[in-house]
Amino acid sequence: MSHPGAAGVPRAGGLRRAHWILLAAIVCGLALLGGVLFYLSPVLALLDNHDLSPGKPLVTPAATPPPLDSKQRVNILLLGSDNDQKFAQDAVLSQTMIVVSIDPAKRQVTLLSLPRDLWVAIPGHANAKIDLAYKEGGAPLARATVEKAFRIPIHYYAWIGLNGLIKVVDRLGGVDVDVLHPVLDDNYPNDFSDSGYGTERVYLAAGPQHLDGRHTLQYVRSRHGDLLSDFGRSVRQQQVLLAMQQRTAGMDLVTALPAFARDLNGHVKTDLDLVRLTQLMLFMRGLRPTDVHQAFITPFVRDAVSPDGQQILQADWPAVNAYLRQLFGGDLLP
Amino acid sequence: MTRRAAAALVMVLLATAGCTPSPAAPRDPGKVVLPVKQVEVAGRLYATKSRTLYRFSGAHLVKLLTGVRVKDPAVNTDGSQLAFAQLQEQSSTIGISDARGDNLQTVTPAAGPEGKLWAFAPRFSDDGQRIVYLSDRGKQESNPQNLQPNDLAVFSQDLAGGAARRLIAPIPYTGGDSDPAFRPGANDQLLYTTYLYGGAPLTPVSRLTWMSLRTGARVYLSPDGARNFEPAFSPDGRFLAFVRAGSGSDDLYVMSLASSFSREPQPEPSEAATLLQAGIVSQPVWAPDGSAIAFLMLVNGSFDLFILPVATDAAGSVHATGPAKAVTHGSFLDADSRLAWSP
Repeated sequence: MSHPGAAGVPRAGGLRRAHWILLAAIVCGLALLGGVLFYLSPVLALLDNHDLSPGKPLVTPAATPPPLDSKQRVNILLLGSDNDQKFAQDAVLSQTMIVVSIDPAKRQVTLLSLPRDLWVAIPGHANAKIDLAYKEGGAPLARATVEKAFRIPIHYYAWIGLNGLIKVVDRLGGVDVDVLHPVLDDNYPNDFSDSGYGTERVYLAAGPQHLDGRHTLQYVRSRHGDLLSDFGRSVRQQQVLLAMQQRTAGMDLVTALPAFARDLNGHVKTDLDLVRLTQLMLFMRGLRPTDVHQAFITPFVRDAVSPDGQQILQADWPAVNAYLRQLFGGDLLP
Repeated sequence: MTRRAAAALVMVLLATAGCTPSPAAPRDPGKVVLPVKQVEVAGRLYATKSRTLYRFSGAHLVKLLTGVRVKDPAVNTDGSQLAFAQLQEQSSTIGISDARGDNLQTVTPAAGPEGKLWAFAPRFSDDGQRIVYLSDRGKQESNPQNLQPNDLAVFSQDLAGGAARRLIAPIPYTGGDSDPAFRPGANDQLLYTTYLYGGAPLTPVSRLTWMSLRTGARVYLSPDGARNFEPAFSPDGRFLAFVRAGSGSDDLYVMSLASSFSREPQPEPSEAATLLQAGIVSQPVWAPDGSAIAFLMLVNGSFDLFILPVATDAAGSVHATGPAKAVTHGSFLDADSRLAWSP
């Protein structure tokens, strides 16, 4: 006995039902796609913000990023600088240079601060302080300079401005930091004043405390009241990076990522792609404080005066190279 | 971005959403939150949140000094007077009020010939007639072209006469000294934290420092190359609670102190200190009867108020007699502001 519609030609009602199902699937698919695009749009806008300023020489980096699924070390050059109205866009020195070296195989991260006054060879330019590289050639020249001077392959970079740091810390709900010394600075640059040239008074008590974005920026940026000057500032910058990493440990990245991206749009430049960024955030979130190591080349530099009379830091390069071999093993450039 | 990359991202996000717990990031609730099971506070315990002064007493919580931005509350021995830093725009002064926060007087200037001034961290003498506090009075004029240090120094001020005297000149470019307090029962002795740099290469160091106000002699109670800070005397002046920074922690320790000022306390007495509470601890203060130590501790992203019961054993050392109990929960109290406790 045959049943109507059981084989061959479907009934008209079944056809209509199939059409409705197909239509509903298409609508659901479009809605899902729209939702995903809506969700991703701030992130995509952020990641579109590369440092490709016209007029700046493009220096090809020596390093190519390792494949996504490899266990190879990934090095990211973190750059920080003023981005207020005092200076022409993209014509600023880098006040902060930190190499974040991620070793996925060992689940270890090393933060290596590079002093901004270090005298180095800048590709295509005369010798100068390392902070000039970003001003002269943006992130590409900064990364090429680091690669040449330290032989550290830089796979990605991320630049963040003053407002960007404030916004990301506030988005995290603040950070918890053990302030190492009282911070007193009667001449802290008030970049957010009308002229951009004002100063303000800063005081942060020493000891463990919770800092919002504005006070975090003051903590990492002030150097007038610190005997160790830029080195003291490097220590504080690494401390805040660690505090930020710890703060993200319990966060829901799915909901947080677009909000972060919206906050940071215009305040961050990076060549990290979306997949790598997400992968790195997930990796960083799973780290314990003991997995992150702080490194400084301060013991291997000394005060000096450049041929043009600037106060600079001169490196003992054999000692620096030996130290870098300890940190990076065989992962340095030839 | 390629479609493949976007698809991979979505997969990663969905996997993240599905496979990992997603606790909300801790957020400041904007108010002091008490736990469901409230802890009764003996006497009156003062703390600040968002620069507002709160008094915890029994199961009650009272907001004081409305409209004044308060940091570093202190209370005299009988609890009748409060001292605190009043924060203004770019300056601060020391205020004195009664225990209710009324009859407010400002006893230090907000500015001088040297410019705007800071004043923080007052503490009363036993008789309530004097305070010690921190200030940058007497600094040299500074501007971006001619930078001068403006570190905080320890001052003493007679509340009746109003005369201020600098007791200790800070080491330039260290931020200055912190946490000054008279020794109970021996107000010719002072304790504070000295901030300096030690080791090679130089790193930030903080040392507990004991001073004879009679002779001006000073000795370190904790070693170089370490960070010990925020000392708090027990009510009888025999013991010191303090914070020691370790690797990723700021633990609460207690140590005893010789009854009279000694020039050569070697080895540093802090080396024999006892650990009372591990964690990220700040601002310890003793109960007026010495039976407990209150402190702020970082738990789940919030600094909250805890009380740890303590006792002195037959050997003369202090130990905890039970676990620390949370007086507040998720309240984001000001961990850079001292606590005060009176009967």
